[in-house]
Amino acid sequence: MRSIYGFGRYFRFLLRRERAMSAVWIVCVAGSALLFAGMYPGLFPDKESMLTMATTMNTPAMVALMGPVYGLESMTTAVIMAQECLIWFVMAVAIMNIFFVNRHTRVDEELGRHEMLRALPVGRLTGAVTTLFGAFALNAVISIITALGFMMLHIEGVTAAGAFSYSLSMGVQGFLFAALTLLAAQLFSTSRGVTGSVFALLGLFYTMRMSGDMAGNALSIISPLGLGLRVYAFYEDNFVPILILLLEAVVTGTAALLICAGRDLGEGILPARKGREHASRFLRGELGLAWRLSRGTIFAWGLGLFALGASYGSVLGQIDAFVNDNEMIQKILNTVGSYDITNNYIVLILAIGAILSSVPVMLLAGRIHAEEKHGRLEQLFAKAVPRMKMFLAYITLALLESFLSLFLLTLGLFTAAWSTGAVELGPLLKAGFAYLPALWVMLSLSVLLVGAFPRLTALVWVVFSYSFLMMYFGRLFDLPEWVHKLSPFGNVPQLPVQEFRLEPLIVMAALSLILGAIGVVRYGRRDIG
Amino acid sequence: MTTFEITNLVKNFGKFTALDGVNMSAKPGEVHAFLGPNGSGKTTTIRCLLAILKATSGTVTLFGQDAWKNAVELHKKIAFVPGDVNLWPNLTGGEVIDLFLSMRRAGQTDKVRLERLKEQFELDPGKKCRTYSKGNRQKVALIAALASDAELFVLDEPTSGLDPLMEKVFQDRIGELKKEGRTVLLSSHIMSEVEKLADTVSIIREGKIVAGGSMSQIAEKAGGKTLEEFFLSEYEGGRGI
Repeated sequence: MRSIYGFGRYFRFLLRRERAMSAVWIVCVAGSALLFAGMYPGLFPDKESMLTMATTMNTPAMVALMGPVYGLESMTTAVIMAQECLIWFVMAVAIMNIFFVNRHTRVDEELGRHEMLRALPVGRLTGAVTTLFGAFALNAVISIITALGFMMLHIEGVTAAGAFSYSLSMGVQGFLFAALTLLAAQLFSTSRGVTGSVFALLGLFYTMRMSGDMAGNALSIISPLGLGLRVYAFYEDNFVPILILLLEAVVTGTAALLICAGRDLGEGILPARKGREHASRFLRGELGLAWRLSRGTIFAWGLGLFALGASYGSVLGQIDAFVNDNEMIQKILNTVGSYDITNNYIVLILAIGAILSSVPVMLLAGRIHAEEKHGRLEQLFAKAVPRMKMFLAYITLALLESFLSLFLLTLGLFTAAWSTGAVELGPLLKAGFAYLPALWVMLSLSVLLVGAFPRLTALVWVVFSYSFLMMYFGRLFDLPEWVHKLSPFGNVPQLPVQEFRLEPLIVMAALSLILGAIGVVRYGRRDIG
Repeated sequence: MTTFEITNLVKNFGKFTALDGVNMSAKPGEVHAFLGPNGSGKTTTIRCLLAILKATSGTVTLFGQDAWKNAVELHKKIAFVPGDVNLWPNLTGGEVIDLFLSMRRAGQTDKVRLERLKEQFELDPGKKCRTYSKGNRQKVALIAALASDAELFVLDEPTSGLDPLMEKVFQDRIGELKKEGRTVLLSSHIMSEVEKLADTVSIIREGKIVAGGSMSQIAEKAGGKTLEEFFLSEYEGGRGI
């Protein structure tokens, strides 16, 4: 047992380090699993509405998104809830485990913290074993809380077996991802390499499940995410998939520990990729640097917004039937006008998507301030780099991002809804791009804050949160007009339901130009750092 | 003509006075050592010289021109190494060096000298900056600075993370620069380095220059004391030893 000497003390230390982070994860995951479940009886008050929803879900697009439909002949609220929720909570728990294991293994090693611990009387494998054990405990706690919570909620169709098959499917897949991350931490020598590879694996598993479920073949069961859904929670309550997944996790974890025992501290089994020894021609200027530092944000958000548009778009064909039976959703959708429901739905998707599209725009515009806080700007400005030119490089990227993100959002929506025949690309793009001036207001607000009030940059997120709340909940209550207009997004004509009006857009564009100009000029005059 | 000249420089941060009338200058071919305890105002002075901070009052001139107004043009003649080198974790050292050199916009870099410096400092330029130790990050900034064809080198504790061999490489290169008639402003805590390299010295304490002059004048003032003892007594000010 020399190799795990000091396990007890190491585990107490791990708990000490984790007491805030893991507690937050437990509350968020278990809490939102129960919160969502609690909403279902209200969303589907009778058998008829459940069957309508089940029919909607039994279409290729929805099966691709959430997995196979089951239990149609004896539909209960719990079954509907499990079908719609389980896959998302599995993904959330997987992400939690990836971060958990990475920060206790490769991150510690990379930052030189692990070597201080290893210099103490602890075994060679103590760190890895403790981390795996910690992950097991974390998943167990989440599973048990979720299962007990389900049993206390009064939801039709909830049984003890169902509650545990649901939550253990979630927990065991989380543990499998902990083991996979531990394995990746032995293979890659950088923490980026570890998270990158396991996230790619998560994406691969999801895609395998998706194509397997759509084609009805075994590919889905080979993927842990597909196998995990085969517990058929609250219907068959099959625990065999859970045992298989546990076995997979144990095998993966053992393999990781074997490699760990034989490798040098700080090294990975796979050699680190050698970087360029020289900067490319493009990197050698302000715009090149800004692009290099922002491209990850641009790619990731582009992909995310396209997927968001596509996932909303995929239900467009069935939306009429679904909404007609649901009063609360009707209310969210219908306050805009008396048009048909599909168009009201498009309006809502675009509004939410546009607000989310402002996030990468604001991140890019504010990036120069992040650079300042990291102390990297003084070196640049000590060279022949005009401050305004550097700032304008980021602003240019943010401006391009405003077009790109709205375009990809709309394109995603169109691509997924195209087969239904309910949408045309031209009008949809017009409706999406109508939000451009609102994004510019958010952009110029960030520029103004960074340039003139660098301590108040967080204010832009207040405006963002306000806009988001107004868009979602503002519709449920009858609020006065000006409350909506306080958000830039509340001033955009909501095509195709409302008439197109140019004036508010021009006013917003002009306002952004003024705010942005003030921000840029003030930036040239203030202290840096 | 002076390379840089700081006259009655005052810098306030809100109510706090960081610099309270600093006077300092250096001529071409001069290595000017800038000494003082932590928090005394060395870095703030350097940042005002580089137009990263705006002076509250007083004048700062570089090559006879206003350092704030003509910052961009003047910076083409300056190379800088900050005291705390922060680099972009996802860029390699080689990329950062090229980026810094091209951002100086001072024409072609002497490739031979650059490669020689990389070899002398034993830097692996293909590694990402996140994997570099403090000493290696400092090397990246130092190589980019020393490879450039600048008139003024502003070096803020450039060798605090270097080993004695690298320290030697650094000192040799400073010697070359001096011979070529370039100016070096060297902030340092390493007394042997100052003694070996500096022509003139300014000592700052609590935002004021408390002693200055050529090395021979300092030696005179120090009387029988070693240089280190003299500096220590100046650092401590009225508290005395």
